[in-house]
Amino acid sequence: MSTAVVALNRLFAWKIRGIRWIEIIGVLLVAVMVFSVYVAKAAAARESARISELERQISDNGQRVRLLRAEVARLEQPNRLEALSRGAGLGPVDVHRQATAESLPSLAPIPEPRPVVIAPTPSAAADAPVADPARGDEP
Amino acid sequence: MSVHDPHVGQRPAPSWGVRRFTPSWRWLTEAMWWVEHAFGRAHADARPEEDTRVRIFVILSVFSAVFVCLTLGAVHAALLTAGAGGGASNHPNAVIRADMVDRNGALLATNIVHYGLYIDPAQVWDRRAAAAQIRRALPRVSKTRLDAALYGDRRLLVVNRLTPREKVAVHNLALGGVSFEPEDVRVHPLGESARHVVGNVDTGGVGLSAAERAFNDEIRAAGARGESFQISIDLRVQGVLENELAAAAEATQARGAVGIITDVQTGEVLGMASWPASNSRNLATAATYEMGSVFKTFTVAAAIDTGRADMNTLLDASEALQIGSRRITDFHAQNKVMTLEEVYLHSSNIGTSLLSTQMGPRVMRDYFDRFGLMSRAPFEIPSEAPITPREWSDSTLASLSFGYGISITPMQMAAAMGALTNGGRFIPLTLRKGGRPEVRGRQIVSPETSLAMLDLMRRNVVRGSGGRAEAPGLRVGGKTGSANKSVNGRYNTAHAVGTFAGVFPADGPVNARRYQILVLIDEPQTYPRTGGFVAAPAVGRIADRIAGFVGVARRADPYRTALGDRIPAFEDLEGDGR
Repeated sequence: MSTAVVALNRLFAWKIRGIRWIEIIGVLLVAVMVFSVYVAKAAAARESARISELERQISDNGQRVRLLRAEVARLEQPNRLEALSRGAGLGPVDVHRQATAESLPSLAPIPEPRPVVIAPTPSAAADAPVADPARGDEP
Repeated sequence: MSVHDPHVGQRPAPSWGVRRFTPSWRWLTEAMWWVEHAFGRAHADARPEEDTRVRIFVILSVFSAVFVCLTLGAVHAALLTAGAGGGASNHPNAVIRADMVDRNGALLATNIVHYGLYIDPAQVWDRRAAAAQIRRALPRVSKTRLDAALYGDRRLLVVNRLTPREKVAVHNLALGGVSFEPEDVRVHPLGESARHVVGNVDTGGVGLSAAERAFNDEIRAAGARGESFQISIDLRVQGVLENELAAAAEATQARGAVGIITDVQTGEVLGMASWPASNSRNLATAATYEMGSVFKTFTVAAAIDTGRADMNTLLDASEALQIGSRRITDFHAQNKVMTLEEVYLHSSNIGTSLLSTQMGPRVMRDYFDRFGLMSRAPFEIPSEAPITPREWSDSTLASLSFGYGISITPMQMAAAMGALTNGGRFIPLTLRKGGRPEVRGRQIVSPETSLAMLDLMRRNVVRGSGGRAEAPGLRVGGKTGSANKSVNGRYNTAHAVGTFAGVFPADGPVNARRYQILVLIDEPQTYPRTGGFVAAPAVGRIADRIAGFVGVARRADPYRTALGDRIPAFEDLEGDGR
């Protein structure tokens, strides 16, 4: 018998109070597995309930959205808007009063830029006589 | 090791089994006994390899195989099965029928949960007070039905299709015995607007008419996915069409009116209206008309396409045309030899009659077939069949050339005008957004003919009878049509149909984006009753208002500036708008 088989046999025969360790470990593993399956199933059931609840909420909200959209469509229907606009004295814009973005410069020419005033250099400013605010000689 | 009796194999089955079971069950007990003692027999037969360990091994193997199968099944169910995860298999926003929306997503029809109101009389305390309160909260409830439910002996439906608001009003009364049951109702929030396009649905959610019926399966499938279903209509365009059509019909005191706007390159219907909207009959598909001079467009197009004529071909309209005993005259006789362009612009019956008789019945029939004038319009909404001539004599050909002797639906006219103005491809009209992918356009005239007709139609608006259809900078082209209706077998001038088949922009290459506008006014009561007066102005206003929606910019062309001012000095040759 090879050493590996011997080692395996010894491991198999390793006991405590007449019970094989391998069996104790197996039972523990099974217990852990049962518990983890229980936990996973409980979590899944909770998630499932939550998903159902969210879906019900989505459905309810969807219904409300549909209702509101229908209301918006009713209020925004072209016939109604046109009747209201005509009632308010509005009408199609005359072609002579329509303009595109490109035609804006020709309608209101861009004003000429003002001539740039060159500020006096700091040295010149230092040489200039300092106005006395108390004298009130500003225009 | 256990001790086995070597003789047990020969031992008979216990006698109690024999006593208890009928002879027909005996073989079963014997078989079980035989299996049970197989091990003993094996030892008796000196086959020690079939001892306990073999049995344990066999049982272990069987159990292992079963558990491996179960494990694989569990893993497969947990990881690989689609749709696992605890959620509902349906889309949370799934509905019986999808919302119908226009090409930009504006709502046309939707499903809203309504409620049926039920009353269980056994749970009502004070019936008279309940009746009074319900009638106050819900004025539309029928008194007889309410009393029947309140004083009946079982739970009854009082009224259905309560809106959510009405339900809340009744619910707030806090009456005993009153309950509600949800019901899915198709709602058309636009009222009568676009009703001829959208159509109706029955209480079971099956489309009965128009788009609801044509796309029934697709709408239901989209509803199951929680999606909307788009159709080709543009609600803004539809609104303009309906308003302008109603304005034109009311101004002319007409009996009916039809308007159709299409994209000539894709065949999509952007707007379709039938006035009065309260009439459930859609005149665009369900009525046929003799449309008069609009047909001159087809006659001239056929003449150009066959190469029999060009713009400079001369036609003698100096005197009335005699065909057998029939005398064909012009409405406003020019009494001169005219070019093809003048024939079209003056709307000369003599000129087009000459062309049609020269082409003959075979060619005319072929071209009318190509334009789709001889058969029902291939459209999602079933339409009326045209009334076509039974014989094709010269007299008939002459009549056909200027739009008499054949009655077609406005849909056919819209499709034919689209084909003439999109480069010569006949594309069936559709309510499907983006056009019908499976249908390829059929080439019916050459692109050159199409360009020539576009130019001719534009000139007809600039210099001919269609002047009132002009919209500044939009290069509107088109042809007027005016016909008397046949009443009791005779054409009656008091019953007329005025039509304008327009297109804009009429310039640019054949494949440019282009829109066709057809307006038909049935029996206008104001004078003049010709298409140039009753229908053309509406087309001009519609083009002016929808140009921004469809993205057509105002531009100058050789005849007009972008603001609609004249470029060369020009006068309306006729001034009659015929």
